[in-house]
Amino acid sequence: MTTKSELSAANRELMAETRRTLGEPPTAEEALAYLHGDLSPDDEARIRERLIAYPELVRTLTMPFPEGAEPDHRDYLSEHEFARHWKALQKRGRRPDGGLRFWRAFGTIAAALAVVFGGLFWRAQTELKKPQAVWEQQDLYPDGQRGIGGQPNTLTAKGESYLLVPILSSDLSVDKLRAEVADAANPSRTVWRSEVVARTPSGSFVILVPRDSLKPGTYRLVVYGITGERQEPLSSYTLRVPAR
Amino acid sequence: MTNDDRFQSLYRKYYKRMVRFYVLSFRVTEEDAEELTQDAFFRFLEAMDEYRGDAEWGYLETIARNVAYNRIRSQKTAKRGAETVDIHDRNAIPEPAAPSEPDYAQREEAAMRSKHLRDAIAGLPNGSRECIQLWLNEFTYDEIAKFLKITVDAVKSRLRDAKKILRVRLGDANALPEVEE
Repeated sequence: MTTKSELSAANRELMAETRRTLGEPPTAEEALAYLHGDLSPDDEARIRERLIAYPELVRTLTMPFPEGAEPDHRDYLSEHEFARHWKALQKRGRRPDGGLRFWRAFGTIAAALAVVFGGLFWRAQTELKKPQAVWEQQDLYPDGQRGIGGQPNTLTAKGESYLLVPILSSDLSVDKLRAEVADAANPSRTVWRSEVVARTPSGSFVILVPRDSLKPGTYRLVVYGITGERQEPLSSYTLRVPAR
Repeated sequence: MTNDDRFQSLYRKYYKRMVRFYVLSFRVTEEDAEELTQDAFFRFLEAMDEYRGDAEWGYLETIARNVAYNRIRSQKTAKRGAETVDIHDRNAIPEPAAPSEPDYAQREEAAMRSKHLRDAIAGLPNGSRECIQLWLNEFTYDEIAKFLKITVDAVKSRLRDAKKILRVRLGDANALPEVEE
């Protein structure tokens, strides 16, 4: 008795023959034009024939697409999850710098977190005895990920410290982090270094650098990941401090 | 609602379900699915100004399918363009182990049987053949109907016709018993 599995095997061979005969699969544009009925009958038959030889591609067109989750459903991204994924999306770096205004919403959340972490860090710094005004968080993009031209991160001076958020990979697998700022012209001259801090669940790393530590010039900030006894540089960021 | 609000709303509603859509539909890893999802949203973000209201949701779906299609297509194309090796290069192609079984006669018989089945499928009228080929690839009636742009009843009818013809051509009245469906 001929079974479905036996015929399926024969069909796979038949599809392989068809692929060899008809060549490459249709492009996405052709496939969508087919699905939307935008082709002439002849073209439609031709594209259908080729698609049938590539069932995985047909599946991309026919699989039911999910509906969106309601805000109280567990599939709905929380603020925290949204912030994390959004950060990853931004790292794609293909987006113009103009950006979406709702970045400000995320920025507000991140800034709130930054102020909390910054405050803790601030207290830990013995040299920072005096009250400081923190005005603005500055996201630092790693060298090599700042698009064409790769302009350095220019620090804006507001308040007595720079509140810096180096953008790090979202899939960090280190236990602790620390940062160092060195003179770009003389890398052996470290002008500032952070304490070692435990990596937060969100992977955020916020540092507060006293403004007096950085005279106008160009610097290289390096973030190190620490796991056990092992330490390795994760990312570097070129910083430019403009003349006041 | 601003662009930012619109994007955030769609992103939060669809992100996890799109990841699952990719994992379940295309058997990719969760990591790959997240990459595809981010890619889809990135493209959506670039063009969302052109779409509003209901069309926005539909556009996201189109992009999501497009991203998956292109990923799979590029894999298929890469395979077709895979590096070739000189068949005389003994180092490139290891000697195959001698087959233990089936023996030559059995293999010949299996090859002839396979060709017979292939010819039977290929000889079906186009409409029936397309239906049965998709059905043999485990597509549901709904999916076949959507792809061929016909009704589910028409799919069932064409499948019945295809099976009847196959039973006659294969000389096997018990081929493709209904319980297998």
